[in-house]
Amino acid sequence: MPAVHVADLTKRYRVPVRESGLRASLASLVRRRYRDVVAVDRISFDVAAGEMVGFLGPNGAGKTTTLKILSGLLHPDGGTAEVLGHTPSQRSREFLGRITLVMGNRNQLAWDLPAMDSFNLHRSIYRLDTAAFQGTRDELIDLLDLGGLVDKPVRNLSLGERMKMELASALLHRPSVLFLDEPTIGLDVTAQRKLREFVADYNRRQGATVLLTSHYMADVVALCRRVIVIHHGRLLYDGGLTGLSERFASHKTITITLATPAESLHRYGTVIAQEPLKATFEVARTETSALASRLLGDFEVLDLTIEDPPIEEVIERVFAHPAEEPEPEPEPV
Amino acid sequence: MSFLRLALAHFRVGAMNELQYRVNFFIQVVQALLALTTGLVGLWLVFSQTEDLAGWRPAELLAVMGVHILMGGVVQMFIQPNMTRLMEDVRKGTLDYALTKPADAQTMVSIREVRIWSMVDVLTGAIVLGVSVTQLEHRVGFGDAAGFAIALVLGAVMIYCFWLILTTGAFRLVNVENILELFSGIYQAGRWPVGIYPGWMRGGLTFLVPVAFAVTVPAESLTSRLTTGTLVTAVVFTAVLVGVTRIVWRIGLRHYTGASA
Amino acid sequence: MTDMVRFYLGWGRLAILEQLQYRVANYFYMIGMIAEPVIYLVVWRTVAEARGGVVGGFAADELAAYYVVWTLVRNMNIVLTPHAWEDRIRSGELAVDLLRPVHPLHRDLAYFAGWKVVAILMWLPIAAVLTWVFRPALDPTVTQIALFAVALWGGFLIRFFALWTLGLITFWTTRVQALFEMYFTAELLLSGRLVPLSLMPDWVQTVAGLLPFKWAFQFPIETLIGRLGTGEILRGIGMQALWTVIGLGATAVVWRRSLRRFTAVGG
Repeated sequence: MPAVHVADLTKRYRVPVRESGLRASLASLVRRRYRDVVAVDRISFDVAAGEMVGFLGPNGAGKTTTLKILSGLLHPDGGTAEVLGHTPSQRSREFLGRITLVMGNRNQLAWDLPAMDSFNLHRSIYRLDTAAFQGTRDELIDLLDLGGLVDKPVRNLSLGERMKMELASALLHRPSVLFLDEPTIGLDVTAQRKLREFVADYNRRQGATVLLTSHYMADVVALCRRVIVIHHGRLLYDGGLTGLSERFASHKTITITLATPAESLHRYGTVIAQEPLKATFEVARTETSALASRLLGDFEVLDLTIEDPPIEEVIERVFAHPAEEPEPEPEPV
Repeated sequence: MSFLRLALAHFRVGAMNELQYRVNFFIQVVQALLALTTGLVGLWLVFSQTEDLAGWRPAELLAVMGVHILMGGVVQMFIQPNMTRLMEDVRKGTLDYALTKPADAQTMVSIREVRIWSMVDVLTGAIVLGVSVTQLEHRVGFGDAAGFAIALVLGAVMIYCFWLILTTGAFRLVNVENILELFSGIYQAGRWPVGIYPGWMRGGLTFLVPVAFAVTVPAESLTSRLTTGTLVTAVVFTAVLVGVTRIVWRIGLRHYTGASA
Repeated sequence: MTDMVRFYLGWGRLAILEQLQYRVANYFYMIGMIAEPVIYLVVWRTVAEARGGVVGGFAADELAAYYVVWTLVRNMNIVLTPHAWEDRIRSGELAVDLLRPVHPLHRDLAYFAGWKVVAILMWLPIAAVLTWVFRPALDPTVTQIALFAVALWGGFLIRFFALWTLGLITFWTTRVQALFEMYFTAELLLSGRLVPLSLMPDWVQTVAGLLPFKWAFQFPIETLIGRLGTGEILRGIGMQALWTVIGLGATAVVWRRSLRRFTAVGG
């Protein structure tokens, strides 16, 4: 049985239509107008236990909404979602005790107190056995390098340290499923890397299932062998990273290093970068080998590399149609 | 009981949090003293003109004031901080964390915060009460004291229910500061026994904003005026309110999570 | 000069638009505020009854008149809280304000004045309800209403400058909360807000006469409820003018000092 099972999941929001000006304000007194936004549009996928999946998509694509549905925070409007055999929206105690949610830009540790105090509170809430709790806690402190930091007030920690602390807190009850929503947002490059390393390590050792959303390519590339691309609420792609290029990139690049400078390279194809002894071509996938053989035949080539365009570029082109609006805030009712 | 354990755990964290800000203690003391001064001046002004306010004598009115201050302290210590946090959480989106914990959400949002310095008000109220009791003409019997304790607890629960219903139900329209102001204003009516207010106001102060049950009724018990009827009404009304609060909470939660009706 | 007028009108208009937007919040606030005078009224009416109908020279319906008009004057008395300065300094908002070509006082004054217009409008239905419920002895002449209007805004100005200046203490120390609370308590007792000053002992009334509080609060009420002759009212408005000028002077002096301190210490 898969750890996460999603079929035809749909979620709509009603967003009020607001306009500026006095007249519109007065009009809205009488009649509030709404617009339906489909945040998640019939998405289906399965995640096996112990898998790590990255959700990629621009702001407002529906990634966070999907994650919230899977953690029980939102009720779907259609389709089914199952996590560890439970229906998340029912929020059973057993279900909640086996998952964890970390939102990158929202803290839950008590701001003015040392993290240790929040850890202890966590233990009470999850009713953890003292010995087991202490073991897990010390292990996490060690793995995340939090040694001297747990006794400092959380507000005195740097952003990176705080994020690691939040992660540690979230894992104290050894959840089987981790929902990480933009965990590296706002962190510097080193902090991001450390966090990623930890998550990968955790996934390996504990066999925990990890669902991670991000709009940083680096997160997804480094962590996830499997990527789900969501755009406008729709699932555009579900598979490996290499497959992503193949599916969406219509071209490759050929970079050659020459023994002697050459002219009129542009006659062979689109040159996107050129130095005296080096040039890069952009070529349609289907033409790649043809161009390569021509170059090898016509020039003295010291080195030739064929590559997919950088993933970022691929993704950018996929998302070439910008999302219509920022992630719609659900009407707080 | 897991509820108590959870409450204690949160109390510990809440207290630790607050204890860092010692300056708040000083401010709280100043505020309590000023409020006490104002209250005593008010009482004194009234009693320079008459010895009897709707059947209540000076020492008895002092007792009312004592309960008023004490209950106010309890509300500020345990109830208001949680309601403020609840509203903030909804606005910032951090309520999600409370909802992913394996504990009843209503419990979680109701016990998380503690404003420890309001204990000054609780103490002040208790002192005023103590003083007034020594001045009372009738001695306070065991029944009176027991009734007082019960009425106090019921009153506090009713105020909690009122707050949670308002916070859950109205937060789309207003923010918590408005509810705070509204409540503070109406709560001031409890400084005096609600019997002095015209009928319809008395009704509002009993069943809309349960000030009568929170202040006057315990004071009535202490001054040997409490009727069994009133106490029974208090019990029944509390039970009803607790039930209604639970329903309102669940509806609010379902709305928040977008559960279709 | 016309620039200033346009400035005031502009900010005033913005205030009106904004506060109309927040009408629910405003109504909540105003309704919560009614509790206070209603409580005082009921208490003192009860005392009056116990004394055979009159207390401190007020009959029950006269007390009602006092406290009903109280609600409007109270609203007009709400000005920039002295607590606002702490946020202004800390958030950097003040630094930005200082870069503008107009003294921040003007913006505050213009905004609050606009807000008061909305407050007055929103008060009218509340006044109607209160009148219907409490049957106050209110029967003002047109002259009295006109003078009341002047006194009302006079009270607003006095309190505006007084609290604006008070707030500036924040430039010297942040431990101001206790100080403000003491100020407000004194004001509560000496302005006619808790009770009409005639119910206070004589020595208190003497002290109150030397302070601006009663001119911002009790005096405007008295102009409308018919307890003062026209001569007395005009003299009173003169006192209001005096206190407004004193307030303005104090503001100017303290502001200059505050600015010096701010630029020296860096906020």
